[in-house]
Amino acid sequence: MLRYRFTAEEFHRMAEAGILPEDARVELVEGEIVTMSPVGKRHMAAVKRLMDLLFPLQQARKALLQVQDPLRLSPESEPQPDLTLLSYRENFYRDKVPEAEDALLVIEVADTSLDYDLTVKLPLYAKAGIPEVWVVDLVRDRVHVFRKPQGEGYGEAQALEEGELSVLGLKVPVKEVLP
Amino acid sequence: MTRHKVSLEEFHRMVEAGVFPEDSRLELVEGDLVEMSPIGKRHAAKVAKLTALFGPLVPQKAILFVQSPLVVGNSELYPDLALLKPRRDFYEEELPQGRDALLVVEVADTSLHYDLEVKLPLYAKAGVPEVWVVDLVRDRVHVFRKPQGEGETLGPGLKLAFLGVEISTEELL
Repeated sequence: MLRYRFTAEEFHRMAEAGILPEDARVELVEGEIVTMSPVGKRHMAAVKRLMDLLFPLQQARKALLQVQDPLRLSPESEPQPDLTLLSYRENFYRDKVPEAEDALLVIEVADTSLDYDLTVKLPLYAKAGIPEVWVVDLVRDRVHVFRKPQGEGYGEAQALEEGELSVLGLKVPVKEVLP
Repeated sequence: MTRHKVSLEEFHRMVEAGVFPEDSRLELVEGDLVEMSPIGKRHAAKVAKLTALFGPLVPQKAILFVQSPLVVGNSELYPDLALLKPRRDFYEEELPQGRDALLVVEVADTSLHYDLEVKLPLYAKAGVPEVWVVDLVRDRVHVFRKPQGEGETLGPGLKLAFLGVEISTEELL
């Protein structure tokens, strides 16, 4: 028995035809439509903090900040990372769904989803060549930083409980990311 | 992580909206879309033969659906053959459901496990009164009646009968 794998194009046609429920929080992972787990208050707060901390990069026109919107990694995978820093574009990606090559940094905030983020989504990000991924672990209060994508993993991995994160010259204290 | 379960209604709307490639052969199995395996020549020939044998029942005694949709519970399966209660419109207004079926026949070469373990319980739950699974690998026909029952297995040299149509197992194996 072979489960059918949706392509990102089919996924979008379904969304446009209003086939998936309006309020469905779904992403496409390796051809499967996956329901995302509901997020708690702390998760929401962490995303808001990150938006606040990273916003200077957008103001300086160095990057565009995307929150829980789709990022196309392959014809069959289009997850919705909590935050994505995209290469700056004057038209704010009016003409295309941002793709892996547009992403400078992907951030996932994990409370219940840590295992899924590390074992399912991280390999997808690596395979697609996303240069840097942060996974904010709200349970153990630390931030995993992954750099140098190689195959289905990252050549460089760190777990930070304090100190500073750095992206495009902007310094972000770890303590401020963890609410 | 939970896989999104596709409902019957979503499935129909996907088909209508042209979401899938024209040549896709999909069934909806308990919320999952499943690709049907390609049909080999032996399989195709057996289905053609069964179609011919049951043909005389149409349209007075039954309607014959060949590799066409049958709604069973929340699933939509494409049995190789389904004999349905007669209906003047040939089910144009509404897809046939389990309760409309008189007999379902599945021909299995590579799909035996899937037919017996996945599809048969769905037919039983939907109240399909009789199911034949023709096993082309082991040369036998599994016959299931009374949706709770165990079923029996018929080898060569026996006769199957349905609505007066008699079929010797040799013809199917």
